[in-house]
Amino acid sequence: MSDLLTGYDHGDLFDEVFAPGGVVRPHYRELVGRVRDLTAEDLEHRERIRDAIFRTQGITFTVYGDDDGVERTFSLDLLPRIIPAEEWDVIERGVVQRVTALNRFLDDLYVGEQAAVHEGVVPRWLVHTAEGFRREAFGIPMPHGARCLVSGVDLVRDAQGTYRVLEDNLRNPSGISYVLENRAAMTRVLPRAFAAQRVRPVDHYGPMLLRALRAVAPPAAGDQPVAVVLTPGAYNAAYFEHAFLARQMGIELVEGRDLVVDEHVVSMRTTAGLQRVDVIYRRIDDDFLDPVVFRPDSLLGVPGLLSAARAGNVTIVNAVGNGVADDKAVYAFVPDLIRYYLGEEPVLPNVATYLLWDPEQRAEVLERLDELVVKPVAASGGYGLVIGPHAQDEELAALRSRIEADPRGFVAQEVVALSRHPTLVDGRIEGRHVDLRPFAIAGERVEVIPGGLTRVALRRGSLVVNSSQGGGSKDTWVLGAEAVPDPAADGG
Amino acid sequence: MLARLAENLFTAGRDIERAEATARMVDITYHSLLESPSGERGDAWEQLHEVLGTVAEPDDDALARLVLDRGEPRSVLASVTRAREHVRSVRELVSTELWEVINDLHLTLATTGLARQVDEQPYHLLAGVRRACLTIYGVASDTMPRDEAWRFLALGRLLERAAMTCRLVQVHHQRLEQLSGPSRRLGLGGDPAGLEPGPGDFHQWVTVLKSAAALEAYRRRYRASMDPADVVEFLLLEPDLPRSVAFCLTGARLQLEALAAGRRSRAVREVGRASASLTYRDVSELFAMGLAPFLLDIQARMQRVDAAIAGEFFRHHPSGALHAIASP
Repeated sequence: MSDLLTGYDHGDLFDEVFAPGGVVRPHYRELVGRVRDLTAEDLEHRERIRDAIFRTQGITFTVYGDDDGVERTFSLDLLPRIIPAEEWDVIERGVVQRVTALNRFLDDLYVGEQAAVHEGVVPRWLVHTAEGFRREAFGIPMPHGARCLVSGVDLVRDAQGTYRVLEDNLRNPSGISYVLENRAAMTRVLPRAFAAQRVRPVDHYGPMLLRALRAVAPPAAGDQPVAVVLTPGAYNAAYFEHAFLARQMGIELVEGRDLVVDEHVVSMRTTAGLQRVDVIYRRIDDDFLDPVVFRPDSLLGVPGLLSAARAGNVTIVNAVGNGVADDKAVYAFVPDLIRYYLGEEPVLPNVATYLLWDPEQRAEVLERLDELVVKPVAASGGYGLVIGPHAQDEELAALRSRIEADPRGFVAQEVVALSRHPTLVDGRIEGRHVDLRPFAIAGERVEVIPGGLTRVALRRGSLVVNSSQGGGSKDTWVLGAEAVPDPAADGG
Repeated sequence: MLARLAENLFTAGRDIERAEATARMVDITYHSLLESPSGERGDAWEQLHEVLGTVAEPDDDALARLVLDRGEPRSVLASVTRAREHVRSVRELVSTELWEVINDLHLTLATTGLARQVDEQPYHLLAGVRRACLTIYGVASDTMPRDEAWRFLALGRLLERAAMTCRLVQVHHQRLEQLSGPSRRLGLGGDPAGLEPGPGDFHQWVTVLKSAAALEAYRRRYRASMDPADVVEFLLLEPDLPRSVAFCLTGARLQLEALAAGRRSRAVREVGRASASLTYRDVSELFAMGLAPFLLDIQARMQRVDAAIAGEFFRHHPSGALHAIASP
């Protein structure tokens, strides 16, 4: 038997498709059977169809600092990642739990008693020195306490197959548009694979988000609140997604210059004059949101926006100041926050993290710098990340002095041997590392869209999956409860 | 609808129309020159530059400049690029099909190595551009509800087209006057039909009609005669010709009336006046008052329409006290 999977190197890491010994995991049997029937030419043909679909629809993202071709198409791997119902159940419970606790923490911090800080669950100085902490957000109300209305919780799977939280994205997590577009493309490219399985749909994300946005409208807004998506503009890396979301929800996509604040009321300029706005799903960073309060040179924002929010005339989503909770040093305290606010044990464990201001932990980390991953606490998108085992000596030496100069500015983590997934690379199927970003929406309650964005590091051995760093993606299929065939009936 | 997006759609309508018209006129000029004495070469390109409002430069390759030059803001490529950016900014307001056609057109024009292909054989590309632009309107017309988005897109297109036809007639009319002297001025003596156009003129007017994509329609209406008065009447006053100025301004008036939705509207008044100055006019009157001043007058009216549209739909300010102090 010779097919695309012959000679696939299962490696010694956790493989999503093959159990140790090369046995196909039950929830992948259907797909693997199908792949075995395909030739390399079949797959290439389907890749061409996929590329044509994406290019024509302009599904692209922008890479900063890249001169040739401002836009790239997002690279979707044709082999989907499949998550069985019982695994998804754990992920879903874990993400809901985590987002619920983080929302409680942020609401407590900005409009509450700051109980967690007073009781020392998180050190006060740590909160106050977080780059994402915003004094300006004190007293800005958020209905239902849904300060992280949209969050993306990055999960990885370690060598034992345990899902762990790698980081929380609580400011402006992006990627949901790719989840929806990947699914739409896959149903066109590999329709028969879907027909055979019970894959849970994802296309209700738009209505779900709109419902949540309306749920957090200020009480004065009445029963038909006006929500808008606020984008920095067409040159932003995630502009495609901003436009996509506005279209999915059927609401206006506005830029800062479309909005005007008068008497603490926000309106948008329309062809028929000014129209009041109640909820702003902003995809602009805190720093650029309101030049009166934050960076005065920002042309992207709206002067007076924060005062309108504080007056309770408009709700800004996600809330201002969320960055304090996805600071990578505060991340280390999230399990404690879950215990403190919810009285529960965390469903999804963190990755072992070292805090470098602690002299003992720092000393140990500096000893083992070549074995660990070091991350700047406030960056996202994989920028500034150093992977010890892959780094040059000079790089490590420079890192060492940066850590010593600013120990609060970095955390170190054990290298997680990210699970691998068979991936189409240059006409062959090889194992590549993957992660998973499920998206949660908090309105009146927290919900998770089944699946999420599976990102794949396309370079062999690379652990960095961010699209800005040359990563691709996979459609992520969460199976319905009854979809996994009974192994006995299947004949093994 | 957001004022900025309305303006983007309006501008996109203009740019798509301009790309289509430019591709068509470049194609016609290029091919008409293949059968002309070489002395007319520079002349014809210069005339086209005048119609398009571009400036000819010495030793200029007009073809390259008007089609694929990114640095020329009125080239086909620049117009399509702008239109795509604008449509991209309103993707949530237009149909996906519309976006796909315009994105495809942009991808085609951005292909590398196209310049050589155009230099050797421009027809294929130019015809492709025209077909794509017509497809864009076909798709828009078949997939978009007749809402504000549609109306602003259509409005931009109609006003651009009216302006282009005006300039086309104006430039060729001027050229004929220069060539033939005042004695052959159109309509002299109030008897335009009595003029016997020379063979050179015949060629000119055929080019004008072709440039307005109206030659076939003209022949069906007027048969073989190529009377300058008929051509002018057809291109300016004909109520049923899609590229006549009267047709475009009537269309623009209907769009603006729908957009104003019963409000008192300066834009509607301005476009109504401009439109009426054609609708209730006889061609002999145009010649009696002089075609050149008439064309200047109608263009000035159209500029007032543009200004009224911008003021009424695209620029709003809060009436609050602080803002009132800030803006005079």
